[in-house]
Amino acid sequence: MLPIASSLIAQVAAPAATPADFWLPAGASNHVAGVDSMFHWINYICYFFFFLVIAMMVVFVWKYRAKEGARIRLDGLTHHQGLELSWTIIPLLICMCIFFFGFRGFVDLTTPPKNSFDVNVTAFKWGWQFKYPNGAQSDNLVVPAGRPVRLVMRSNDVLHSCYIPAFRVKRDLVPGRFSTLWFQSDVPTGLDESKGYHLFCTEYCGTGHSNMNRKVLVLEQPEFDGWLTKQAAWLDEIPDEELYFKAGPKIYARCQQCHSLDGTAGLGPSWKGIWERVSNPASATAFTDGKSYGDLIGPGKEYATPEDYIRDSIYNPGKHLVAPYGNVMPTFKGQLNDRGVDAVIGMMKHLDEFDAKGAWTKSVPVATK
Amino acid sequence: MSTVTAPRPHAVDHVDVPDNYLTHSRGFLSWILTLDHKRIGVMYMGAVLASFFVGGTFALLLRTELLTPGRTIVSADTYNQFFTLHGAIMVFLVIIPSIPAALGNFVLPIMLGAKDVAFPRLNLFSFWLWLAGAGFTLYSLAAGGFDTGWTFYTPYSTTTTTGGVIPVLTGVFILGFSSIFTGLNFIVTVHKLRPPGMTWFRMPLFLWALYSTAIIQVLATPVLAITLCLLIVERLLNIGIFNPSMGGDPVLYQHFFWFYSHPAVYIMIVPAMGIISELIAVHAHRQIFGYRFIAFSSIAIAMFSFLVWGHHMFTSGQSGLMNTIFSLISFSVAIPSAVKTFNWTMTLYKGTISLTAPMMYALAFLFLFTIGGLTGIHLATLNTDVHLHDTYFVVAHFHYVMMGSALIAMIGGLHHWWPKMTGKMYDEKLAIAGCIIIFIGFNLTFFTQFMLGSQGMPRRYYDYQPEFQVYHVISTIGSYIMGIGFLTTAVCFVQSLRSGAPAPANPWGGRSLEWQCTSPPPHDNFKTTPRVGNPYDFSMLQWNAAEKGYDVDPAREAAAFAAEAQGEHARGHA
Repeated sequence: MLPIASSLIAQVAAPAATPADFWLPAGASNHVAGVDSMFHWINYICYFFFFLVIAMMVVFVWKYRAKEGARIRLDGLTHHQGLELSWTIIPLLICMCIFFFGFRGFVDLTTPPKNSFDVNVTAFKWGWQFKYPNGAQSDNLVVPAGRPVRLVMRSNDVLHSCYIPAFRVKRDLVPGRFSTLWFQSDVPTGLDESKGYHLFCTEYCGTGHSNMNRKVLVLEQPEFDGWLTKQAAWLDEIPDEELYFKAGPKIYARCQQCHSLDGTAGLGPSWKGIWERVSNPASATAFTDGKSYGDLIGPGKEYATPEDYIRDSIYNPGKHLVAPYGNVMPTFKGQLNDRGVDAVIGMMKHLDEFDAKGAWTKSVPVATK
Repeated sequence: MSTVTAPRPHAVDHVDVPDNYLTHSRGFLSWILTLDHKRIGVMYMGAVLASFFVGGTFALLLRTELLTPGRTIVSADTYNQFFTLHGAIMVFLVIIPSIPAALGNFVLPIMLGAKDVAFPRLNLFSFWLWLAGAGFTLYSLAAGGFDTGWTFYTPYSTTTTTGGVIPVLTGVFILGFSSIFTGLNFIVTVHKLRPPGMTWFRMPLFLWALYSTAIIQVLATPVLAITLCLLIVERLLNIGIFNPSMGGDPVLYQHFFWFYSHPAVYIMIVPAMGIISELIAVHAHRQIFGYRFIAFSSIAIAMFSFLVWGHHMFTSGQSGLMNTIFSLISFSVAIPSAVKTFNWTMTLYKGTISLTAPMMYALAFLFLFTIGGLTGIHLATLNTDVHLHDTYFVVAHFHYVMMGSALIAMIGGLHHWWPKMTGKMYDEKLAIAGCIIIFIGFNLTFFTQFMLGSQGMPRRYYDYQPEFQVYHVISTIGSYIMGIGFLTTAVCFVQSLRSGAPAPANPWGGRSLEWQCTSPPPHDNFKTTPRVGNPYDFSMLQWNAAEKGYDVDPAREAAAFAAEAQGEHARGHA
């Protein structure tokens, strides 16, 4: 029993990468050792009882099988107090042990250390927004290696759940509440998305539920610090005239799930020809309340310019709904600043320079290089 | 009318007794207005099997869609509607009514030696309610379908734009009352209609199971009704109960929902356990091992079932203290389940085992239920559940319990009582072939899903990472094999109805009272109140080769009754 107990009690402090095995995926956080050893020990107990029951079943059936109408033997036991009590009490004791070690592991899993690095997480249909203490934002979760990280999470609309299988952590995001989750990973991945760990939404949230996944990228502390500083200022560092093709496609990656560029039907109107539509007062396309663009956009109307209209559609998406689409777009207030909106509008104005996936097809003019 | 004088089937000439519950009266109205529990049970069975066909078709469509990542045959929205429908149909229309309302209705009064349930009209009304509930569920499809998942979690369910949400909530609300009325009827019937001599501990274990189930149905289902009402009110009138943007709390909904839906899991599995107790004892012709432990474990499960709902919410935001308490209590449910499993296995020891189709289903149940039960430990343990919650591991676990156990027991029970219900035997070899194909297909389908889940594949996913594809392909192939197995079983039943040999009164050698009336039973079940003994004393049975069934050796029967009377007499003076 000693090795069993010690492997369970030692809530291994040294976080390391573990390879994938038959049951569990590769692990890369401080929680992996505790959860995995618990999982495997439960498995061993299950194997034992499963093979015990099945072996007894097979042997008895083989030994006591009889032809139709065979003489019925009457020498079987009808009950046995000792046997029955033993298979009541032994499973009970085993279960209580499992409960206890599971409880210990759970306490570790849910108690973040005081010196943790906080990242704010917002989930919405259907995406994630990660915000860092210096104001930087990102679509993938980027964390420093070798330091406890605490996610402070909330949802803008329905239930979501943040699940990082490689870290063995999961927590629901409940609208109207904050929830937290913590981990420490010592295995850097770099900024290459293909090497990152999966981050899934595991609470069903509608159409885009299964595509609401991102990557977790772990950087060495110095690299992380550099990334963080750059990330906070990335929009400001791009010159105005390059904004639409440098920042536009990056921001569009968050829009593409619902808005196509080539006229393909989606959950929201395609951007194809959008600028011609909104800047032409005679445009026939109407809103669900029967109004046309000309009724809303123009001097003295609700929006003086088409730019005003686009900006408000990003910040208050439910205000005017283009027919026949429903009110499903989340607000980007607090997630996209004015320069971000400028980049989106600029991209809409130059859609002919982008391919259907949002990649810029022209090359940078020599003069601005 | 019949000319039966002797109450014992072996004294009855089948040719002279054409009157049974099937031929007693004719015409559509004689069925839809019948008060006969046997006809109501048969109608329930037909309705449940039809629903199972629909729900199973959705399952095969889901599995086909999951053959490849991304789109295979349908869009994400259609997929979401498919898995919602699959879940809702299988839970509310198939598994919950399958054993109590279909098999239970047919068997329970006969096992009690009664002419009918206590309230025959209420029984018929509950079937009509089932039809109405199923009608609303069908209507919800016409009204735009619903994509909420069968759990109807808020705020998604109150904000989704699909139009069928309120109709299906209404349907499930009505189905709940159907379930409550059946439960109420069974409780009263078991209390009041037991024949003289049938004490509580002389009841067949299937009756103990149905009785425990009925208690859960009556106590838990009203909570579901209230919850669904609140959900309808919130969606229709925008009154904030669960939606935080209107001042509500979505976690409250989860508490309400699982307060019903966890006991509902036992509404599904406890009667299945009852069937298995019958199948194993009768087809092994052997006194069930540890009768009292099995009977009390049914009651224990019914009681614990009300105290464990929070284990569905370990990651949802309930407090750590609640998580701990719910984890602790959840383990306690494992104990009565373990007791039953060991007792069934021991019943095989020194039995006289006929490897008939019902016995094969019972053995399949033992295999699958052991896996389903043991994997519950991973999910009741707090830290491993955090990793496994809402992944395919959970999907595999509850399919092993709901389908591999509850449904397999139901189909095993259907084979067991089929000769009694229809008066026809079925092709044993074909039935066993069906059972084996289903068993292989089932394990291929769902065992791979344990690995999918522990490797980190979330459930309810339309699209998935390419590394999961190999598991999904195996799982889908398994589901097709399972489909072939069910088809084989259906062919076997149809063949039996068309050209099956006439069934003897007691083809398996059962000792509970339903094997003492003819197959199929007469309209009133018994002409005289039958004599009640130990339902698991097989000592007086002898094989009747002409009838291809068992009958009772009167001398040994008299001896058995005398011995039992003496035993009681001795105990009375002890």
